[in-house]
Amino acid sequence: MAFLVRRLLLAIPVILLVTVMVFSLLHMLPGDPATVILGQEATPEAVAALREELGLNKPIVIQYLDWLAGVLRGDLGRSLVDHTPVSELIAQRLPATLELTVGTFIVAILIAFPAGIISATRPGKWVDYGSTMFALGGMSIPHFWLGMMFIVFFSVKLGWLPASGYVPFADDPAANLAAMIMPMVATGLRESAILMRMLRSSLLEVMHADYIRTAYSKGLKEWAVIMRHALKNALVPVVTTSGLLVAGLLGGLVITESIFSIPGFGRLIVESIFARDYVTVQGAILVSALLVVVVNLLVDLLYAIIDPRIKVGKGV
Amino acid sequence: MKRKIRWALTAVLAGSLALAGCGGGDKPAGGNAEPKTGGTLNISLDADPPKLDPAFSTALVDRMVFQSIFDKLVDLDANGKIVPMLAEKWEVSDDQKTYTFKLRQGVKFHDGTDFNAEAVKFNFERNMDKASTRRNELKEVDKVTVVDPYTVKVQLKQPFAPFLSVLTDRAGMMVSPEAVKKYGDDFANHPVGTGPFIYKERVKGSTITLEKNPNYWQKGLPKLDKVVYKVMTDSNVALTNLKSGQVDITNRFPFKEIDSYKNDPKIMVVNQADQGYQGMHLNTKKPPFDKKELRQAVDLLIDRDAIVKVVLNGAGTPGHSPFAPSHFAYGDSDKYEKPNLEKAKELLKQAGKPDGFTFTLKIGTTPQNQQLGQMIQNMLKPAGINVNLEKVEFGTLLDQAKKGNFEAVQLGWSGRPDPDQNIFDFVVTGGSNNYSQYSNPEVDKLLNAARVEGDEAKRKALYDQAMKILNDDAEYIYFYHSNTVFGVSKAVKGFTYIPDGMIRTANLSLSK
Repeated sequence: MAFLVRRLLLAIPVILLVTVMVFSLLHMLPGDPATVILGQEATPEAVAALREELGLNKPIVIQYLDWLAGVLRGDLGRSLVDHTPVSELIAQRLPATLELTVGTFIVAILIAFPAGIISATRPGKWVDYGSTMFALGGMSIPHFWLGMMFIVFFSVKLGWLPASGYVPFADDPAANLAAMIMPMVATGLRESAILMRMLRSSLLEVMHADYIRTAYSKGLKEWAVIMRHALKNALVPVVTTSGLLVAGLLGGLVITESIFSIPGFGRLIVESIFARDYVTVQGAILVSALLVVVVNLLVDLLYAIIDPRIKVGKGV
Repeated sequence: MKRKIRWALTAVLAGSLALAGCGGGDKPAGGNAEPKTGGTLNISLDADPPKLDPAFSTALVDRMVFQSIFDKLVDLDANGKIVPMLAEKWEVSDDQKTYTFKLRQGVKFHDGTDFNAEAVKFNFERNMDKASTRRNELKEVDKVTVVDPYTVKVQLKQPFAPFLSVLTDRAGMMVSPEAVKKYGDDFANHPVGTGPFIYKERVKGSTITLEKNPNYWQKGLPKLDKVVYKVMTDSNVALTNLKSGQVDITNRFPFKEIDSYKNDPKIMVVNQADQGYQGMHLNTKKPPFDKKELRQAVDLLIDRDAIVKVVLNGAGTPGHSPFAPSHFAYGDSDKYEKPNLEKAKELLKQAGKPDGFTFTLKIGTTPQNQQLGQMIQNMLKPAGINVNLEKVEFGTLLDQAKKGNFEAVQLGWSGRPDPDQNIFDFVVTGGSNNYSQYSNPEVDKLLNAARVEGDEAKRKALYDQAMKILNDDAEYIYFYHSNTVFGVSKAVKGFTYIPDGMIRTANLSLSK
């Protein structure tokens, strides 16, 4: 418990630092938000009025502190573009990305574990070469291309799956899955390749350890040795990689979201940057940073479950 | 009796709609091609509309959605002529300074409040407020008075020929005064008009859902139950969705694909001239383009036919004026010379730069911008003019253009129905879009005269005169008038192209 609290407290300066960096970087971008929002037709008076209204004439430090004070009151501010509360925008967009992340990760595990285990136990055999080839392919083929090919094949040619049209899971689970399966598999294939490579090399290393020989010499079957002894010890680097993958996916699904027209979190950030909607970008980055902290925390906790020698209380 | 029949028909219709709704993919295989009522029309948009409020909208894509939610005082027809909409008729005083509109009676806003003269007055005043982006379009309006509940008088400060044209777009769209009072700043998230469809909900970045307005003033319209706008920023993604049937109309069609869909049994490519133009501003206040000869030389080296062929895949018209082919002012002012290297070199010599010079051209970041930039680079090279291309994200590009922080910048205009709206602010001294910082009293005089001239032929003559000077001064190098290209599923019935390039949904129906 003490560990948890300390970890969470440590996260606060990290998150603050992230927001300060984002805030200053965004303001370093050339281009005036008021001009971007009002566009080509704006009169100078209208631009001046909007700058005043948005508080853009205040010093940047004051703007940042204003925003921070709002956050502490639980108010992420309102979008510069259309005055929608930022928290509402995030609440609209986050579920799709979370679902996509979880789904992608499940797809990745479902492929990576069997493939990684089989190839690690038969090094140098054709299954090993086969899955190594698959992994190489998976990492090399751009997932946006794969996504497009899926659409062309499954939506346009066969007409089995919708090419777009995200429906929230709560509204219609079947339609939701139909819309999400292609993006999940397209990105999942790539992530599975990375995980599989990790698992294979980590397993191979463990398989040469003394305790595995001991296990064999006790007369245990191969299957039991791998599942009970080897896999558990090979998992630590895999969990680390998974944590990084999930954290990366949370903000990095922009391309997948664009191709499949999924109203996700990644697109929200990118669109807001283009619209110079600082307030929305700030809020979204804050939430994103929080999510990464949570994922890292979960990874740390998982370590402790996998390997009790890694004492949670002592820090890792 | 008649009433009973109507009720019975409605009941049958509602029943069959409900059945169709439950039946999933299996639609009754009726043999007649008669367009049916009901159904959901999906339209893909190439950008997420930033602001669903006509008074504050600045994006082209907003206007697409507005067509379904808001009616205007007057509209454009397929020939680009101004026709009645919420104003049934109007009279213009002899001095061209007073417009009296007779309004359609019995029209209600989606929130149930009446559309009347008070509402029109409210809308004019809202659009003339200093915060509104419409202010510039309505700055000639002096006063709006309610004559009786369905008559409104608009007084102008001086005759302003484009006035009615302005009202065919956002400045003429009527929003519910009650809703504005109720939602205030948040109106853009609760748009209420009198249009054929009612705003239902929106998922930012994804969809805007509208439902049929059952009390629409045009009898028998709208025909559809629902219109859903889907945001698809990539035109190839939109095209695959059109092919797979997830989308019925795309508002952008990849130019490269136009030819391959000529004979497609399921998809019709609508490829029509719109009202805009593209080209580049040359900064007349900064070297090298403070020298007129150098601007003229650049103008002379641009091969417009090649640009249209390569960049637009033929979907456009080479141009030399801001007036698109559908405008009455188009024609004489659009003539241009074929590229002429000898003459350009002569001009360089006159300007004291016989070996050419170097300048930086700022362009947007799309592949199309880049292709255009590279073509210009190659066209100017033979005369010794070196072009450095600088790719700048659109918001920044606009900002730098407004601040005059450039030598040359590629920026175009999406176009409006009246010639004045496409030329005035771009070239008059101190005009809001006069990025070239051009100033010529003669041009100012001619364009102001064209503004107050009621006679089309006389106006055209004035524009021709102004263009002669502008083309000689070459402060802006016109390249082309591009086409609007839509992809439309052949299941869509009743589609008519309107020259403002906006999709009207009231008349559309689906036969699938």
